[in-house]
Formats: sequence, structure tokens, C-alpha cells
Amino acid sequence: MDPKLTEVSQLFERFKAACTREDFNTSTNLLSQLKVLLTGFRSLPPLFENTPNAVQELTIARDVFEHAVLLSVTIGDQEAFERDFFQLKPYYTDAGSFLPQSPQEYMILGLNLLRLLVQNRIAEFHTELELLSPTALENPCIKHAVELEQSFMEGAYNRVLSAKQNVPYKTYDYFMDLLAKTVRDEIAGCSEKAYDYLSISDARQMLLFPSENELLEYIKEEHPEWEIKNGSVVFQKAKESAPCKEIPSLQLINQTLSYARELERIV
Amino acid sequence: MTQDVEMKEQHQPSNSTTSSPSTLHHLKEIASLIETGAYAKETRRIQRAVRLTNTLRRKLKASVLYAFLNFALSAGSESFNRLISYLPKEDEHEMEVDTATSVTQAPAKHPLPELEIYCYLLVLIFLIDQKKHNEAKACSSASIARLKNLNRRTVDVLASRLYSYYSLSYELTGDLAEIRGSLLALHRIATLRHDELGQETLLNLLLRNYLHYNLYDQAEKLRSKAPRFEAHSNQQFCRYLFYLGKIRTIQLEYTDAKESLLQAARKAPAAALAFRVQCNKWAVIVRLLLGEIPERTVFMQKGMENALRPYFELTNAVRIGDLELFKSVAEKFSSTFSTDRTHNLIVRLRHNVIRTGLRNISISYSRISLADVAKKLRLDSANPVADAESIVAKAIRDGAIDATLDRANGWMVSKETGDIYSTNEPQLAFNSRIAFCLNMHNEAVRALRFPPNSHKEKESAEKRRERQQQEQELAKHIAEEDDDEF
Repeated sequence: MDPKLTEVSQLFERFKAACTREDFNTSTNLLSQLKVLLTGFRSLPPLFENTPNAVQELTIARDVFEHAVLLSVTIGDQEAFERDFFQLKPYYTDAGSFLPQSPQEYMILGLNLLRLLVQNRIAEFHTELELLSPTALENPCIKHAVELEQSFMEGAYNRVLSAKQNVPYKTYDYFMDLLAKTVRDEIAGCSEKAYDYLSISDARQMLLFPSENELLEYIKEEHPEWEIKNGSVVFQKAKESAPCKEIPSLQLINQTLSYARELERIV
Repeated sequence: MTQDVEMKEQHQPSNSTTSSPSTLHHLKEIASLIETGAYAKETRRIQRAVRLTNTLRRKLKASVLYAFLNFALSAGSESFNRLISYLPKEDEHEMEVDTATSVTQAPAKHPLPELEIYCYLLVLIFLIDQKKHNEAKACSSASIARLKNLNRRTVDVLASRLYSYYSLSYELTGDLAEIRGSLLALHRIATLRHDELGQETLLNLLLRNYLHYNLYDQAEKLRSKAPRFEAHSNQQFCRYLFYLGKIRTIQLEYTDAKESLLQAARKAPAAALAFRVQCNKWAVIVRLLLGEIPERTVFMQKGMENALRPYFELTNAVRIGDLELFKSVAEKFSSTFSTDRTHNLIVRLRHNVIRTGLRNISISYSRISLADVAKKLRLDSANPVADAESIVAKAIRDGAIDATLDRANGWMVSKETGDIYSTNEPQLAFNSRIAFCLNMHNEAVRALRFPPNSHKEKESAEKRRERQQQEQELAKHIAEEDDDEF
């Protein structure tokens, strides 16, 4: 066996052990060492050279990056997640033809979709979705993310929240918690426009707070413009498109002059 | 000089119509057209030659091609031998007869590169028409290798045609991913050589290549960074608009997508029916996603009724706002939608169906309970009333309906629609329409003018100075007048 490959696999074992010990400092250190070592392999993207050990090298590199992605979720580092995911992606798309499919593939793709949803990057969400085959779309991990996006767009927020109970993997919890926060902000934004007032207990229930104090805290921080009167929350509604009393004369004069100038040019 | 050229051009078509309609004869005429074009450095003539070839496409036979290659290329040359090897060899006998006559006619000479490239193009078209895909691939790759070493403006037109067939031959065998690198290299070469037609063609081929594998992200990155200039070929521009529309649709920029797709459908030549059908399919979906309902005439266009049928029924479901009907239509035509690769877009439409249904309810009832809303929308979930409540709330926030919710009673109360004419809204709408008309007029006038620099060469230095002076004076005059006005 190639000495470089043995070195990488030994290091990788140590890295995995550190991950299971939940020793995040050591594991991030080992991970950066691993990534440096991986650059020595010429069979990896973007070179894709056909070296004798190509399959083993690609497989171990894929495993490394998969673990890296999962590690970044556990630490809750979204930027690291994005970076690692983009490094991992070529192994699924371009190297897919000469490697057996990874059992983690759909799980990680689903995680990425969820991340895009949490960060409200819907356009990228759909771009990623287009890359998936019909069989991939049937996979529970992917389906979960797709259904979430639909309910989110429709506004069926309690469906989004109930989806939290049936997450396919434990790693999804991190993003689901973030999503719950996003949903709360959305609900707050919608209620503000849709209701004139809400009783405090209703508001607490809708905004998913366990106690009224937390609700009051939230209102103080995020929506100081809401008023609390006689046991209910009153929303200040912006008066929009009020009948216009004044004639916007300056604007009108400017427009009329520009018409005159254009017409003169025609005639 | 210019008169002379025009005279000649008029002669040639009349010749070809009166003389015997043998294909070989036509090909020879085209060859001479290319030759004169190459010597006079006029790409216009070569364009004509390519157009004429298209009309001959059906009549091409191996024997005719064999004879033509003999006529155009010197017998022993490398490209001659290579091209001959691609042609089928069954009717060797017939060929001998033909060649004997043509060889005597053609004087031994060094062939022009334009003519050589034209021969490649002709053989390639023939191979694709005969469905000999593997030979076509080999032939196109050889021609591309040859093209890389040629840097002549008169070859550009032929080269851009060759690029399209190169990509087509690989698409037919399903190996489009293979040539991506080589297309990118060609695009770079074309950019360096200021071959705008080539850039345009190659950019479209690359976009097609990416979209074939649903790589919207890469396609958009390439498109936004590639140099843009005024379109040289209408067909290429249509394709570009179509690809642009597709990319924008996927990235949820529906307004821009609609504009590109409709423009592509309108600009496409009448003969390109399949292309227009594709454009219309996408345009219909985008308009539905925008909340518009396309008119019935869109679906009744000549030759498209059958192809657009699934989309017509879909539109109907969205228009009524009936989720059940929408679901059944989506299932009924699911195979069509997945071959059109619009399935994911249809999934997005569900949300619009709910919105339309909600809008209908809000218009017809001044007050309705949320339980009834859920029933009318046919929401099938564990907790329909709570779902209905948050869906209505979101619709209100997005401005789709004008209503308020009453939590205590579980009602949705629609607001009276205010008098729009008491606001500034109509005036703004009127202004934007006037601006559009004036802008269109100005653009039309600008399009009527001569392209810049077209008369520069004839102008002597002295005259130019004089003209510039005049222009400056005029500008000053106008500026003064403008000042007076205010």
C-alpha cells in the first residue's frame, strides 16, 4: 500500500476517534492536517488523474469531507459547512461514475438544502434541487427538505414545526432549531399585518413561547412598536395608500416638461 | 466597386435557376461563391453560401459528395483522405464515373482554407443526416482541430456552423459532457480573435451543455461573465434568450424570465415550431408562477394545440384555484412534465393555486370563518384550520388579499376595496406607459440610422475636421436653446 495513503488513513482514524470523543479542538486540528495531506493526491478533483490507487484515494477523500461536513454541523459553523460541502460536491457529481454511492450522500444533500432554506437562499435551493434525479427526490431526507420549503412558501408554519418531530437524522436538529427561529420571525411579521390585536395567551401560543414572560421579552427586543393593552397585544398598522390630498406638483411639472420635449423631437 | 459586386450577385442565382438542377453543379457554384468571398474578404457571401447549402441538404448523396471533394480538394492532401474515409463505400462504382468527369474540370491547385472547412461542414451535415453519429463525432473533432490553427475572418461564419454541428453530433450520442472543456477553449480563442459570431454561438452551446445536465449555477456564472455585444445572428439571440429565461426561472426571477421567454418566442422564425413550443411552455409556467393567467389564444396557436394541452389544463386548474383538480392534472400529465423537465416548477405552482383560491374567496365573501376557508381550499392536513389561518396571514402580508383576521371569532374579514382613483396610482401607471411609448419611438428612430463608422474610410481628414466643427456648433446651439427653454 502506498505510504501516503496509509498515513492519511491512520490520521483519519485518529480524527474519527476525536469526533466520537466530541473533542472538537483536536478534531478540527486533525481535519486541517488531513486536508493538507489530501492535496498530495493527484487523482482527486480537479485533476482526476488516473493513478493506480485512484479509487481508494477518492473514497477516503470523500469520507474525510463527509465527516468534515458533519463536524461543522455539530459545532454549528455554517460557513465551514458551506466550504466543506462545496469541496465534497465534486465527489458526488463528477466522481460518481467510478465510485460506489456513499450511504451518507442523500443525508448530506438534504442537510445542505436545509441550510439554504434556513439562510433564506431560496434561489440556490431550487438550483440545487434541479441537480437531483427523480430517485433522489423520493429519498426521505430530500423529500423532507422539499416539503419544508413548500409549507414555508405557503405559510403553513405549523406544518414546518411539526416536521421537527420526524427528522430523518439527529444531525438535522441543529438546522431545524434555526428554522424554528426563522419561522417565529415570519409568524410575527404576518400577524402584525393580519390581525388588529391578539390576546396575550393567543400570541404566546402562536409565537411558540413556553411562558408569557418570554413573549414580553421578545416583543421588547424585536418589536418595540407593538403595544400591550388590557391583556392583549395591539399591532400598529402602517396606514398605506391613504387617499391623496395633495397634488405632487413638482413631479407632475417635471413629467409634463419631459413629454413636451419628447413630443417636440417627434414633430 | 460596390455596384460591381451587386451585379455579380444577381447573376449567380439566375444562372443556377436556369441551368440543370444537378446537386453537384449547385455545390460547385457555392464553392465559387466561397472562393470569391474569401478573395474579396466578404463574409456576406460566405453567409449566403451556408444558406444555399441548407436548401441542398436533402439532396446530398455519398456519390455527389465524393465528386465534390475531388473537385474542391487536391487528391492526395491529408484532409481529402480523411474526409473520404468517413463516407460510406457501398456505391464505389458510381463514384468513379462521376469523379472522372470532375477531375478533368478541376485544375490542380492549392485549396483555400475556406473551401477546405466548407468540405468538412458538408460531410458533417451529410453524416448527421444519415444518422452515422460516430463518424460524425470523429469528423467534427477533426474539423475542430483543423479550425484551431486557422485565423481568418472569412472562416468565422463557417466555423460557427461547424461548432453547432460539433455539439449536435456529441449530443446525439449523449456525450455532451465530454466536449465542455474543448468548447470553453474555443470560446476563449474566439474571444481573443474578436470573432463575435463564434463567441455568440459558442456561448449558446455552452449554456445548452450546462442546462442539459441541469447545471444552472455554472450556466449563470458563465453567462453573467461572458462578454456581451449586439447580436449578430437572430437565431443565436433567440436561443440565448431562451436559455436566459430558463436560468432566471429556476432562480425565481420570474419577471425577467417572462420577458426573455416571451421575446424568444416572438423573435423565433416561424419555421422553428419546436423551439417556439418550448418557449411557450416555459412562458406559460412562468406567468402562472407570477400569478398571471395566460390568455386562451396562447394555447390555440397553430400547430401547438396538442403540445400545449397539458399546460392548458394546468392553467385551468390554477385559474379556478382548485387544489384537487390541480393535483389530478399534475398526476395525469406527470410523464409529459418530467420529459419537459418542468416537474419541479409544477410543484412550485401549488402555492399559486392556493393563492388564487384564497383571492376568489376574499372577493366573494365579506366575512367567512376559517374552517370554511380550509374546506373551500380543500387543505388536507392534520390541522386544517390552523393551516388556513397562517396561510391567510401570509397572503395578507404579501399583499395578495386585502383582509384582516379575527382570532377570537375565527373569521377572516375582507376589506372594502378602496377607490383606486383617489390615489396617485393611476397617474403613475399612465406615466410609465407614456415613457414606454416614447422610449420605443426613440429606439425605432435610432435603429433606422446607419451604423457608426460605416462611412469613415471615404472621409478625408480635412472633411472630418470640418464635420466635427459643425457638429460642435450644432451641439452648442442646441444646448443654448435648451437653456432658453427653462
